[in-house]
Amino acid sequence: MSLSTPVALVLLFMLGSALAAAALRDVVGSIVAFAGYSFGVAVLWAFLRAPDVALTEAAVGAGITTVLFLLTIARTTVSRSERFEGISLRSGLAVVAIVVTVGATVPALPPIGAAGTPVLDGGVSQYYLHNAYEQTGVTNVVTAVLVGYRGFDTLGEAAVVFAAGVAMLLVLRQEEFV
Amino acid sequence: MSGEDPDSADEGRLSRPAAERPPYVESTIIMTTVRVIAPFVLTLGVFVMFHGASSAGGGFQGGVIAATTVVMLGFAFGIEPIAAHLRNEHLALLVFGGLGTFLAIGFGGYLVGGNFLQVSGYETLFHHGSKYSIELVEVGIGVVVSGVITGLFFLLGTGLDTAHDATEPDSEEDR
Repeated sequence: MSLSTPVALVLLFMLGSALAAAALRDVVGSIVAFAGYSFGVAVLWAFLRAPDVALTEAAVGAGITTVLFLLTIARTTVSRSERFEGISLRSGLAVVAIVVTVGATVPALPPIGAAGTPVLDGGVSQYYLHNAYEQTGVTNVVTAVLVGYRGFDTLGEAAVVFAAGVAMLLVLRQEEFV
Repeated sequence: MSGEDPDSADEGRLSRPAAERPPYVESTIIMTTVRVIAPFVLTLGVFVMFHGASSAGGGFQGGVIAATTVVMLGFAFGIEPIAAHLRNEHLALLVFGGLGTFLAIGFGGYLVGGNFLQVSGYETLFHHGSKYSIELVEVGIGVVVSGVITGLFFLLGTGLDTAHDATEPDSEEDR
């Protein structure tokens, strides 16, 4: 796969902000770098023509998560220790091990846009693309799959969000935890 | 935290203890900006929620964007006054309503002669029935997500202060 210049720039930006998020010892700076990384991922999804995922990543990853991180940090950790610890040798080795392990699986993936991948040839995705509009009346196939064909999964996701809300009410209301 | 010297705080380090840090700074610029932008953000969130069936978007994204309005208002006008208007009961009602909408659509599938969550069954009721039921499900998801995120924001933003006010300022760390 040949990288186009914008995608390469976004990847470079993501790499830089990820390293900054890990290496920065300043708490707020690290959180902002993490938000920048999330924003880079969102832009990358948009380049890879996944606007639904890009919207989610931008809203949840770059937006709300950053706000919640900042709130949490401002309320708790910072009053106890002002800075994050530096990267220790052990955690560095663990990160390298994870990167090597995950990186070893990358050659097994088909190149982006290659013909003959299951996404293009597989019966399931072609069935969705051909029948989604007639069967559900929805032009966005992603939504058709999410609610029309895989509605039970989506109900599970909504239930998870609901359960998370209930759990957070229970936990954060307990004063001994705060 | 009580033994910490406030003078040692450099910029970029929020090392002042929470008791001394002003919880909310009134800023005309932020207030004006939020007052102008908030309606547009809420509109975008609702648009993404409702328009997920025809373009990119959906309940999860739209719900988060709609909840961002509350976050922005919280930063501009202080979290506590906003939280006083939206009590947890209202948010719980929102979340239950959203999940209830989803479940109602799901169980309604039996009534129109299909299976659980079989939205194509609604086609027999009225034209484009499955499309409208899918959009209703998306709106339900959006309401659940925005309710939970707003609640999380309020809890993180106000929960400590109310607990803090109830006790001695310096005994917070001992718990």
